[in-house]
Amino acid sequence: MYPIATIDYIIIAVYLMGMVGVGLWFAKKHTNFDDFFLAGRSLTTPLLITTLISTYYGIDVLFGDSQLGFTDGVVAWFGYARPTYAFFIIAAFLLAQRLREEDFKSLPDILDKYYGKNTRYVGAVTSFTYSLPALSLYGFGMLGEVILGWEPVIGMLVLGGIALIYTLTGGFWAVALTDSIQFLFMCVVLALAVPFAMNFIGGFDKMIDMLEPSYFDTMGDLSIWLIIIYASTGLAILVEPTFYQRIFAAKSYKNVRNALIIGIFIWGSYDWIITIIAMAAKTGVIQGILPADVAPDAALLTVMVAALPAGALGLFMAGVLSTEMSTLDSYCLVAGGNVAYDIYKPAIKPDASDDELIKKTRYGILLSWVLGFAMAISFDQMLGLWVFMASILISSVMIPILLGLFVPSFRKPLAGLLSSGLGLLSTVILNIVIMTTGAFDPVEETYIVQWFGIDFLQEFVMYLTVPISLLGFFAGLGLDKGKRS
Amino acid sequence: MSGWELFTWITVVILGVGSIIVFILFVKDISQILKKFQKEK
Repeated sequence: MYPIATIDYIIIAVYLMGMVGVGLWFAKKHTNFDDFFLAGRSLTTPLLITTLISTYYGIDVLFGDSQLGFTDGVVAWFGYARPTYAFFIIAAFLLAQRLREEDFKSLPDILDKYYGKNTRYVGAVTSFTYSLPALSLYGFGMLGEVILGWEPVIGMLVLGGIALIYTLTGGFWAVALTDSIQFLFMCVVLALAVPFAMNFIGGFDKMIDMLEPSYFDTMGDLSIWLIIIYASTGLAILVEPTFYQRIFAAKSYKNVRNALIIGIFIWGSYDWIITIIAMAAKTGVIQGILPADVAPDAALLTVMVAALPAGALGLFMAGVLSTEMSTLDSYCLVAGGNVAYDIYKPAIKPDASDDELIKKTRYGILLSWVLGFAMAISFDQMLGLWVFMASILISSVMIPILLGLFVPSFRKPLAGLLSSGLGLLSTVILNIVIMTTGAFDPVEETYIVQWFGIDFLQEFVMYLTVPISLLGFFAGLGLDKGKRS
Repeated sequence: MSGWELFTWITVVILGVGSIIVFILFVKDISQILKKFQKEK
């Protein structure tokens, strides 16, 4: 636990109470399911910017980027963060417009329209699994421990519980509003932290003098294969359920496009500043003003605690909590929608009223939180879990959604079902095989298995499962003699 | 001042000032949305 002043505790407490207040204020204000799940499809550009940025940036980015910045330097931005912006541009100019042309409410809605109910259910299970907040809750456990000195389980229950309360009560309006407040906290506090960090280490020039020249090599020591892997993680944006939800909730396509273009500049600045502060932490370690044994993923927090004055530190801590809360709330809401709108309504009660759907969505939010909590306290290797969850999304729904959206003649039920089903099944099987028969490598921080004399990393699963999904799609296309959907 | 430092301060301005401008526009929008929201109720 880091030493924190009373004023910092007060700031954190006021922030947490404010979040609950927003949720309770919206508790009874929805008129229908569209209002609860998509904020009445009325999100404007500023609202989209705030909710998109705060949702995507959880502490995995905050600590993951800073870890790479601490150990390798500017390659954290050039090799890891920068490629994702290309996918945001693709999403802004190609995907968002196509998605807004039809009246979709969720990602499985698209699969249903193009391939039928069975593919919808596969997509709903995939989206629900991907949206389970295990990583966020694990992050809360870690934050509660380092910021407040709590046991990890207490941190998960209290901090994760607060995000659960306002999501359950207020729906997407509460999520969008709290995301916006959290966005301001995250960005302003991080921007203000830079001069403090530079002052702490004696200026920017000191950092350039003291760090190895490789810290300023834009591609560092990373191999081309690793850069391709990092870059391909950005593919997830093309089928991201919370991203789709925001596109559907926007007032118009132009709002989404403008939000993404403006957002890229803010995303880019945020990533760069995290990288630079982590490099400042490394400089502090070399100077001996920070402990030599500081863990790379704790570098950002350590340098901030040392550099920021009382009050500013409380704001920074609230900013870190904001980063995670805004991620957890959005994913829980999407998972809740998958249960109510994508499974319960079409499979059990097609004539369910809006009130019933809102009620079932709340059950779904609660279910996703409980399952996420169970996973967070059961798994030791959260990175492995995260790779598994991200890979099932890309492997199962990316091929049928993108091909269905852009090639109308490909919209045949068997093509969608085989593609999503085989993608999902192969990802689950391969991940289980690698996590049970492979060994965890603490240096690579991943599971590795030896196949045909080659070290096969868990991250490589997608290089097998995406082609399987593609083969399944074209096999289904050839076998399905019926008319297209 | 090196190119790296200049780039860093530019990103600080973009993140700090940009997020405040976006938040001000958000407050403007949300107050109108909430008024409309309450009117409908």
